[in-house]
Amino acid sequence: MITRRNILVGAGALGTAAVLGEIAGPVQAQGKKTLVLASMGPVTGNWDPTSHTTLGQGNFEKFVFNALTRAPMRDGEADVLEPALAESWKLIDKNTMEFKLRDGVKFHDGKEFGAEDVKATLEYSADPARPAASFCPGKVDVEIVDRLTVRLHTEKYGYPASAWWFISSVIPILSAKDVADPKTLEKRPNGTNAFKYVETNGDKNVLHANDAYFGGRPKIDEVIYAYVPDANTRVLGLLNGQHQIAERLEPEQYASLQGNSNVATRKGLTTENKYLHFRCNKPPFDDPRIRLAACHSIDRQQILELMGEAALPSSCYISPMKFGYKDIDGYPAYNPEEAQRLLAEAGFPNGKGLPQLEYITSIGFYPKTKEYGELITAMLQEQGFDVQLTVLEPAAWEVAIYRRADGQGQGHMCDVGWMTPSPEPDLVLRPNWQSGAALITGINDPEIDAVLDKERNAPNPEERLKILTEETFPTMAKKVPSFSLFSALTFHGAAKNLEGAVYLPYGAIDLSKADLV
Amino acid sequence: MLFAIDFFVRRLAQGVVILVGVALLIFTLLRVVPGDPVRLMLGPMVSPSVAEETAKELGLRDPIIVQFGRYMSQVLRGDFGRSFVRSAQGGSTGGSRGESTFDASNRAPVIELIATTVPYSLLLAGLAFLISLIIAVPIGVWAGLNAGKWPDRAALYLSSILVSLPNVWLGLVFIFLLSVKTGWLPAIGYQGWTYAILPALVLAVELVPVIIRSLSVSVSANLLEPYVSVGQIRGLTRSRMIAAHVLRNSTIPLLNVLGIQAVGLLLGGLFVVEYLFNYPGMGLLMINAVFQRDFPIIQAIAIFSCAALVGVNILVDFASTTIDRRLQY
Repeated sequence: MITRRNILVGAGALGTAAVLGEIAGPVQAQGKKTLVLASMGPVTGNWDPTSHTTLGQGNFEKFVFNALTRAPMRDGEADVLEPALAESWKLIDKNTMEFKLRDGVKFHDGKEFGAEDVKATLEYSADPARPAASFCPGKVDVEIVDRLTVRLHTEKYGYPASAWWFISSVIPILSAKDVADPKTLEKRPNGTNAFKYVETNGDKNVLHANDAYFGGRPKIDEVIYAYVPDANTRVLGLLNGQHQIAERLEPEQYASLQGNSNVATRKGLTTENKYLHFRCNKPPFDDPRIRLAACHSIDRQQILELMGEAALPSSCYISPMKFGYKDIDGYPAYNPEEAQRLLAEAGFPNGKGLPQLEYITSIGFYPKTKEYGELITAMLQEQGFDVQLTVLEPAAWEVAIYRRADGQGQGHMCDVGWMTPSPEPDLVLRPNWQSGAALITGINDPEIDAVLDKERNAPNPEERLKILTEETFPTMAKKVPSFSLFSALTFHGAAKNLEGAVYLPYGAIDLSKADLV
Repeated sequence: MLFAIDFFVRRLAQGVVILVGVALLIFTLLRVVPGDPVRLMLGPMVSPSVAEETAKELGLRDPIIVQFGRYMSQVLRGDFGRSFVRSAQGGSTGGSRGESTFDASNRAPVIELIATTVPYSLLLAGLAFLISLIIAVPIGVWAGLNAGKWPDRAALYLSSILVSLPNVWLGLVFIFLLSVKTGWLPAIGYQGWTYAILPALVLAVELVPVIIRSLSVSVSANLLEPYVSVGQIRGLTRSRMIAAHVLRNSTIPLLNVLGIQAVGLLLGGLFVVEYLFNYPGMGLLMINAVFQRDFPIIQAIAIFSCAALVGVNILVDFASTTIDRRLQY
């Protein structure tokens, strides 16, 4: 006899089967190739690329916009530039640079690309009132020679046109129509690249393949750029098939994923160095001897052991991925006797008489900052510095590190990484150590300014390389406004069936030739 | 009838005072605690002067009382402002004038963002409630009916274990075991109601001990009341006594528990669980807003959560008075 209990049990079994059946199906619709990228960086609400300098949104914009050139930044080839929207470029004279533009390119809204778009974009981006103006070497006058030729003139603004050489790969080219209409510019990103922006749903930004892309329609139909702030969630989503790329893995996750057969991992050197910045505009670190003493107290080898795979030793103010890198002779090494000698010379034998120093670091943003912060604190205390470590969560740390409007900054030292989207060294050197900006250190040293200006004004890249390696970096190593601890590597995880993705050393990922097989 | 009107008017007035107090507290804390939304919006390479300009445009440099007054007058008109960071959802919406670094017109209205996420949170909370009741009610009643014997103790041990499990760890273990390793349930994000099962399970684990405890205590206390033995003497069977009378009396404390503790636990647990599972509900919206110092969203969700809790309290107290008239005041 069938009882009510039998019926209830049967219904329960049926319900469970239905639920399980629903899960079994594939994530993607019929044949459509969708790639979900789990990102650690959110986008801001303003789609105008000149309105921000955040890395997360910058990497997203790389899917949508092209620049004049492209810097592939492969290992050991920091100075290579490839054509993107420009087919060729040359320096005509010290203050003029010419770009010949690619024909037959359309923006995602259908407008034809031409010289007027380059003029509108560069003059707009270089306007000092724009938040992202610091990416540009200065204001510029752009001359339209013909529909597919532009000339950049920098004579009026006092810097050589060669300063635009590497920056030509950074500035996203906007439509002149959008630049003239700011409300449209902010509403949606409209570029020329392989993927076009469709919509935003909560934390997911949806991109579709651009059928008219000049490099050929991408094989991937849809890219979903999802903001997933928790590193564990990014990886778990990768493991259960819901994310196809997870960026910014922690070193431990990279190690444990290497054995996993469903996931491909990769590590790469980035354009980022981690710096110990000194506040150079207030005591005691306004005295270069005390800064040097602090540097000689730090054994970078121990920090490297702590960081493991996530760090590469480097003795320069920029990463090996950037133009001008060279391990500098005379870069401060671990030398406790020298530290003591300098402290005594500066009037603080054994650190006696120094005020308590606050060392600000972050947690949850870069790997192991708290751990090596504690290590550095201990090493400094060993030499007599009285150091207090302040560990802040990323939003609070971001406020604490920058100098305020009155020129002063919190604490005496801070730990900051600096990742820039180009081989151009000035994107690191000038914002940090040129007295007009010195966003964190507040350094105001005429000798450093002089060598920074000298390398920027070099007539050609060969001369510039010489000045950087023989004058600029050695001068900085003597004055140490900041101490570069190591160059950072990042780790990505991807679905095993993803082929052809190109990972750039500043976080952006090029999917124009990628495929999910 | 008169009692009901009197009750609601009194309690709603108290509720408004609480809401304004909470709003002022959150508002002030956000602006006093370290973390600058402008810096997070604009990024590292921005000059301090441009950052200051943007902050002034957002009204963040006015005295806090002035900002609060401005905010409350907007709220009273139903306008919870626009997000500092998130753009309008879906395709582009209508824009307006302005070349400034911050033009609010393109940012999503807070109400819209919350309205999109609340249904997901309600689904999650509802499912968590359901699962916890299904598990906890039978165990709690059984433990109460056998007070002092081994079912009671077993329920106590079970509750202790469940209460001690940290929800962060449990969530990650569930994802790893039940989704990644075995593929039984989906885990991250939302693509159908089944994605809410795992997070609801984690939330239920927090609720179950509370319900078991409350039920077993009140059932066992009620069994000791005189009316139980009197009723049995008068001829009612024990099971009818329990089903029709004891259980009904036992639910009063349970109602209070559900209203106050459970909703409070759910609200708190929602943030962590949604963050772990990347579940697109109100909790994830709040956590991301805190990371990005998106003040308007943080303020609005704080006000809504407070209002929800106050409202549930009022309803629960009123419901108690209908079950037991002696509780009217």
